[in-house]
Formats: sequence, structure tokens, C-alpha cells
Amino acid sequence: MNRQNFFGHLALAVAVVILAAFIGQMRRMERSHATFERRDIVVVPHGHDADEADDEAELEDAEVIVRFRPGTSRAQIERITNGLNDRLLDRFEFINNQAVIADEDGLAPETVAAEYRGLPEVEYAEPNFVIELDPTGNAPDFGEARHGHDDDDDDPPVVRHPGDGGMQPNDPLFNEQWSLLNTGQRAGTSGADVCATRAWTKTKGSRKIVVAVIDTGVDYTHQDLRSNIWTRPASLAAYSDEDLGDFDDRHGFDAADNDGDPMDDNGHGTHCAGIIGAEGDNSDGIAGVNWEVEIMPLKFLGRNGSGTTKDAIECINYVVARKKAGVNVRIISASWGSTARSRALGDAIKRAGDEGILFIAAAGNSSTNNDARPHYPSNYDLPNVLSVAALTRTDALARFSNYGAKTVHIAAPGAEIMSTWPGNQYEEHSGTSMATPVVSGVAALILSVNPDLSMTDLRKRLLDTVDKLPALDGKVSSGGRVNAASAVRAD
Amino acid sequence: MAMSKEDAVNRARTDLAGRLGVAENEIKEDSVEDADFPDASFGAGAAGEMSAQMITPGWRIRLRAGGDVYEYRANRNRIRLFNFKGANYSV
Repeated sequence: MNRQNFFGHLALAVAVVILAAFIGQMRRMERSHATFERRDIVVVPHGHDADEADDEAELEDAEVIVRFRPGTSRAQIERITNGLNDRLLDRFEFINNQAVIADEDGLAPETVAAEYRGLPEVEYAEPNFVIELDPTGNAPDFGEARHGHDDDDDDPPVVRHPGDGGMQPNDPLFNEQWSLLNTGQRAGTSGADVCATRAWTKTKGSRKIVVAVIDTGVDYTHQDLRSNIWTRPASLAAYSDEDLGDFDDRHGFDAADNDGDPMDDNGHGTHCAGIIGAEGDNSDGIAGVNWEVEIMPLKFLGRNGSGTTKDAIECINYVVARKKAGVNVRIISASWGSTARSRALGDAIKRAGDEGILFIAAAGNSSTNNDARPHYPSNYDLPNVLSVAALTRTDALARFSNYGAKTVHIAAPGAEIMSTWPGNQYEEHSGTSMATPVVSGVAALILSVNPDLSMTDLRKRLLDTVDKLPALDGKVSSGGRVNAASAVRAD
Repeated sequence: MAMSKEDAVNRARTDLAGRLGVAENEIKEDSVEDADFPDASFGAGAAGEMSAQMITPGWRIRLRAGGDVYEYRANRNRIRLFNFKGANYSV
């Protein structure tokens, strides 16, 4: 560079710095004149304290999720955020150029997102809404099983049902698990199940297969789950995120509290985990679809069962990181959703698909048609997404279940499902939340006998081996209920 | 501390009076009934809120004020105001 060019570049750099400082000052002035109506916020932009809604407004930082265009360097991103008086909170390592940015000027998150959308370097920008925690501060009471079974209950005698030629476990609550073996109990329809007992003659699962349960966390100490909980091997370094820090992720990751302990303080995630892989034939509680499997607990839904898009992405990012580090995580089970579409979340799920991870998602419980009224993440049109509707014990579409001839792909038992609950308990619950882990469990069973099956072929196998049901004609694209025995090609 | 149904109704009444700027005795109880809600946010989630898709039992509380009916959804842990001027709110 000659002397003249050097001074020219220097002058340009000085001008850019002065311009950035000027913009920052303008926004601070704008903040000082802004009036904020905070009283009624239900979804609180990150850092806004809704508990002090009646106090004088004292806003903290709003957050946005921004994806910069390919080729935008970290230095450029930092220059942009600094110039806007914002702060780069976290970059999602495996989703190129996607980052969480905190505004420090007290602007509304929609305003900040719009500001970023106006920049030529930005592909998209969305507010990250942070959900207000339960204002009463109540955690669910795990002291008494609500409509299930306590560990101290006298176990009912195991009744083995003849005739299906399958393998039945000695778990005392197995008779309540109509989804696995429906003998017509409690006015059900005999045979309206996923044919698990026949599948178990071929495979009972494998601890070489890891299923990530992204949810409210999991009670990884539950006596019926602890043998099937993923534990970070000694050979694998603790999780480290350049922006978030280091985590002792012994059993997974908690994005809601930003720590390495995904203990469940709600119950929902523990229920889903038990459906996938409560230890089978251990004379205790229930059997999972897999008697043996590894469940990786991830937490982004708080104790009230709600969470943010950003934290969901953090969990997916964690799963991708662990996959890339050699953990054989092949499935993400996602029993949650909303009607809001986030491009950032879609990109994260796509990234998981690029790693060969099948993303199995609940279709939703609004009794509506997802073809017309989309529900996310189940409605992302991605090759690794499988959307699940819920069935009753009579093989009817559950009255609450969403459906969609194009956008809901498969159905599974999801009403009155008995499973694990925190504190060594068991409860019965309903929802597409419960149908989703049934399909996740069957996917894991398939991989236990076909570990090299690609994600695409795994998804296809699930869809090609359903039991067609009249009730699902025109309701789900496969027209059928998942069948574990057919899926693993049991005799 | 967990809320009773009566606690939830009282909190809803207080909240609505505040929002409307009227006295609590101007808020009348229209109906209170047990209900199954579609998810952890009682089917009253807001933009960007992801919720567990499990049927959640609770109470549907309808309050009347000035000729209009307002719906709250609650269980023993939390309350939501449903579709108030087009949006859902946590209480």
C-alpha cells in the first residue's frame, strides 16, 4: 500500500467510527424520549421485568435473532452491532452467521429487528421473545401422583395377554400401556396399538442409539429412566460455547437456565422420555417403546411448560455439536410448538437434518387443520421433519389432535398415555406431546437393528410401514398409525 | 403457593378491574367451569411462545363488565387473559 492509499484508508476508517458513534448517540437520545407501555406485556422481550410492570419503566435489553448473509465475517458483525450500540450475545456455531444480539438502547424488539432487516448484510432478523415465568412462582407439586401411580403403590399383578405372539415385559404398569399392547382394556379396541410386543421379539432397543428429548428437561434420577439416560463419556470434553461459556453437561444441557443440568421441574419432558425409553422388564413401573436406549435430556421449556425460540435453537445447536463430536444422536423428539413461524428455528432444524438427525414434532392440540393453519415446528417443510397426530385407544383421531393431509405425516397413540413423572412417579396424560415420543421411540427401535439407515430412509421406513386406518384417511399424509413390528421387520 | 379456583377468580377480577379502570365490584362473574386446554399456555400463548403440547386441565373464568365478557384461563399455578383486544396476557 503506498503512502497516499494508507492515508485514504485511515481517513475512511475514522469516518466510519465517527458515523457509528453518531448513530449510537442518536439512538440514546431517542431512548430518552421514548415512552413505554409495559403493563400488559405477556411475552416479555428479554430482560424486561414484567413483575415490576407497575413500576416506573426501566427497560433492559431486548434481543433479536439475526442471520447475516453468507460471507459476512465476525469482524463485520461486531462492527455492525457496535455501531448500533448493540451487543453480540451468542453465535450459533453450526448455523452459519446466525446470532443473538442484545439491544442496549431500550428499543422494542420489533423495532430492533426491523432495523437489522434494513441492513444489506442481513438475511433476516426476528425478535426473540422471552416468556414471562409463572408469576406465582409455583413449581408443580411432585409430592403426590395426580392421576397415576406412586412408587409406593401396591403394584398390580402382571397380566400377560396371550395370543399376540409377542414378548411382554414384567413391568407392573404394562397393562395400562394400551399404546404398546391394546387388549381392549378400559373400553379400548383390541389391537389398536403400535404392535410393540411383536417388535420386541426382534429388538428391544440399543444403548448405542441416542434420542435427544428437547423439552422441560428430564428427571434423569427416575428409577425407571436412569439406566437409559445419556451420560457424557469421559473421553468427551465438557460442552464449551465460545459465547455462553463452559458447561459440565454430564447428562445434557439446560438452555432455559444456561447451565449443564437439565433436571425437569415441570414433568412433561420426563413423561415424554419414559414413552421413548423407560427401562423395560425391570419389574418396575412401565416399559418404554425401547427397553434400552440412551435419552439425552435437553431443557428449554421452563417450569410452566413454555420457552423461547432462541433457547430451542440453543438446544438444537447443542445436539448438533454433540453429533459432530461423535455422539450417535439420530433423533430429536419435539413435543412442543406454537403457531408462530421463525426462520431462525427452521434453519436450526435444517442444520440438524444436514447432520442426519430426524426431527419428530407434535402436530398440536387445537383440533385444527395444519394445512390451513400451520403449527410450528411440525409444519416446517424440511426433509427431516416428521409431524405426528394423536390417536385414542379405539384408533380414532383424538378429538384434540391437529391433522393435515399434506402437513401431518403419521399418527400414534396419544390419549391417556401412562408414563414416568418426576419423583419416581407415573402419570397418565394426553396430547400430541405423547404421540410424538411414541414415533421417536419406534425410530430408535429401527436404528437399533439398522444403525446405518440414513435419516431419509429412516423417515421413509416409518411412513411406509404404517397401519392404514379409515379414521386417518385425508387426515395425515401416510393415512396410518405407526407400527413398530412392521418398522423393524419383525416376523 | 397453589391457587384455588376462588383465588384464581379473585385475581382475574382484580386484574380486569385494573385493565379497564373500573372498581372490582363492577366486575361480575359470568361463569367458571372446568376445562381442558390444548397446551401448557392454555391455548393462550403469545408471539414466539413455544409450549408443551399436553392437554392441561384448568378453569375457564368468564367475567362480565360493562356489557362485555372477558375470558381468563387458569390452573392452580398461573392465569392467562385470553384474547383481550386481540392479544393474550399473563396475569
